[in-house]
Amino acid sequence: MLALSQPIQPQTADRRLAVQAIGLHKSYGTGASAFLALDDVSIDIAENEFFTLLGPSGCGKTTLLRLIAGFNFPTNGQILLRGKDIAALPPFRRPINTVFQNYALFPHMSVAENIGFGLKMLGWTKSRSVDRVAAMLKLVRMETLADRRTSEISGGQQQRVALARALAPQPEVLLLDEPLSALDYKLRKEMQVELKRLQTETGITFIFVTHDQEEALAMSDRIAVMNRGRVLQVGRPREIYNAPVDRFVADFIGESNILSGRLVGQAAADAHQVRIAGAVATAYGKAGTSGDGTVQVLIRPEHVDVLDSPSSDCIPAVVEDEVFVGTDTRLQLRLNDGSTFTARLTNSPEQEKIRTSGTQVWLRIHSHSARLLGGDHVQHR
Amino acid sequence: MSSIAEMAATRRTAEGRRRWLLKAPALATIVIASVGPLAVMLVYSVMAKGAFGGVALGHFSLDGWTNVFVERDPFDDTLVLADANLIIFWRSIKLALVATLATLLIGFPTAYYIATRPEQVRSQWMLLITIPFWTNLLIRTFAIMGLLSNQGPVNNILIWAGLIDKPMQMLFTDGAVLLGLVYVYLPLMVLPIYASLERMDFNLVEAGYDLYATRSKVLWHIVIPSCKPGLIAGSILVFIPAIGAYVTPRVLGGGKNMMMGNLIELQFGQGRNWPLGAALSICLLVIVTVALIIYIRGSSGKENAHGG
Repeated sequence: MLALSQPIQPQTADRRLAVQAIGLHKSYGTGASAFLALDDVSIDIAENEFFTLLGPSGCGKTTLLRLIAGFNFPTNGQILLRGKDIAALPPFRRPINTVFQNYALFPHMSVAENIGFGLKMLGWTKSRSVDRVAAMLKLVRMETLADRRTSEISGGQQQRVALARALAPQPEVLLLDEPLSALDYKLRKEMQVELKRLQTETGITFIFVTHDQEEALAMSDRIAVMNRGRVLQVGRPREIYNAPVDRFVADFIGESNILSGRLVGQAAADAHQVRIAGAVATAYGKAGTSGDGTVQVLIRPEHVDVLDSPSSDCIPAVVEDEVFVGTDTRLQLRLNDGSTFTARLTNSPEQEKIRTSGTQVWLRIHSHSARLLGGDHVQHR
Repeated sequence: MSSIAEMAATRRTAEGRRRWLLKAPALATIVIASVGPLAVMLVYSVMAKGAFGGVALGHFSLDGWTNVFVERDPFDDTLVLADANLIIFWRSIKLALVATLATLLIGFPTAYYIATRPEQVRSQWMLLITIPFWTNLLIRTFAIMGLLSNQGPVNNILIWAGLIDKPMQMLFTDGAVLLGLVYVYLPLMVLPIYASLERMDFNLVEAGYDLYATRSKVLWHIVIPSCKPGLIAGSILVFIPAIGAYVTPRVLGGGKNMMMGNLIELQFGQGRNWPLGAALSICLLVIVTVALIIYIRGSSGKENAHGG
């Protein structure tokens, strides 16, 4: 319902849909102990799209993936694959393959046999299958390790084998269940690039599940942010980051300062004057008030300038702490209404400035960067 | 003053001695309980038999071994094939093989069912599986005897159902012995298979379904290879005691459906032919060893072929 209320992208609207979830419900258990894992989820995923399901653990993203794979069946609702309802088909009748979180490579088979397993089950001839396995090994750059046992290769290599195995039967959709979570930081960065490359090269629709917002922003064409079994927002990474629909999304994606303010006037159709901690700023988005005229305003830490002298429409603040984190300096500030604020300043050697605790500063919010968080969604928190 | 090299040498010998001392209990157990008795059997098998049992020590004779395969006709003194022995050999091998196969076929689904239950339920099932072990084997075997006898409940039910009109002879047949063996050794098959299934990553099953394998193909290509160690261990645990079974064929097979265990017992008891008994025991040992080698070679060979 929420997903449908989002405007559909112009460039995806005319593309064919790969997967459509319509009004999906999934509950476990019955009666009072029943747990609603998916609550009326509807999503459209276009062909050749890198689509990410993002949310904290227990938000329902893996449940949704398992319904699409066919390991579980929805309590209610439809799953369409290129327009055909597949919700009742077993996994082995769906042209969809999965890369599992722990890879689930068959330990009694070699790398090549793992990759060829799906082809063997589909009844491919030996010679055709051998060619395809060779092509897959080349695609994931594992040619030299074809005859190894899966226990004899590293985690990153196992990851590649799992990818090759799932891609070998040329599925219409590839599902990836947090495939990078077991890798170390550096390898994870490499695999992000690799996955994106594979998606572009194969032209297969990828549905990627993660709880890592950075990963989601870096790789996805579009992201669906989920919480408590619901889809809160679907959009391109920039949209989700710059215009989150509610406090949860704002909080979950990137760093955020969420301040309460009071509406004092309207500046334009989607811009309002808001009084925040003693200053008036222009905030953009739908003004959803919570009854008493207060609104939630999102300001990203990198969207402010920190000034040392007062200026008009600046928010006064006091420095509480300063943390140097390499490229940036993070300032912990306290506003005069008692709330905390984090500002992130890019470091450069020529204008390094150390602000000790207790220093009075003024915050200038970049134009078009204060965002009103829609009141419609406040109840989710 | 001793040189450093000498000191190191003394330390090495001291260390060597300590290592031997530490090994001694294990070695003693192996020699006393395993190698020793085997040597005694081997020696007894090549001695002449004593008049009232035992062996005539010091009187070398191969009669024990020749008697395994041929026997002297008491009337005309010619050598005839000891077909009674060979029939018993064959029956033992056959019954042990069929019992192993039957316990595999019953035990695997049982173990699979238990391994796929929720955790608390699993331990309850395992308890149920092990409960028969708490009762003496002899008593359990007599219970089967009661069930199968001509006036037993099985015959009564069959008559009542109108399937037969007079009691069927079930007791004292090979079938009865087989039933007894399967019943007694089934838990020994279920436990190791369950242990390896429990360790199996059930994601592999999902991965199989995901890669277009139907239920039977997942079973054949993924589940069975994954729990192969359990299947092998279970088969060995059933086959070895089954081929040498004594109580079961004695009670359920009556006097005529003997297995090797009974034949061996006979030589040491009423037969008073200890050399033959010893030779038969060694034959049993050889059969089991050969069977194991073939079995393990066969199954690991297949695994290698799988692994490429």
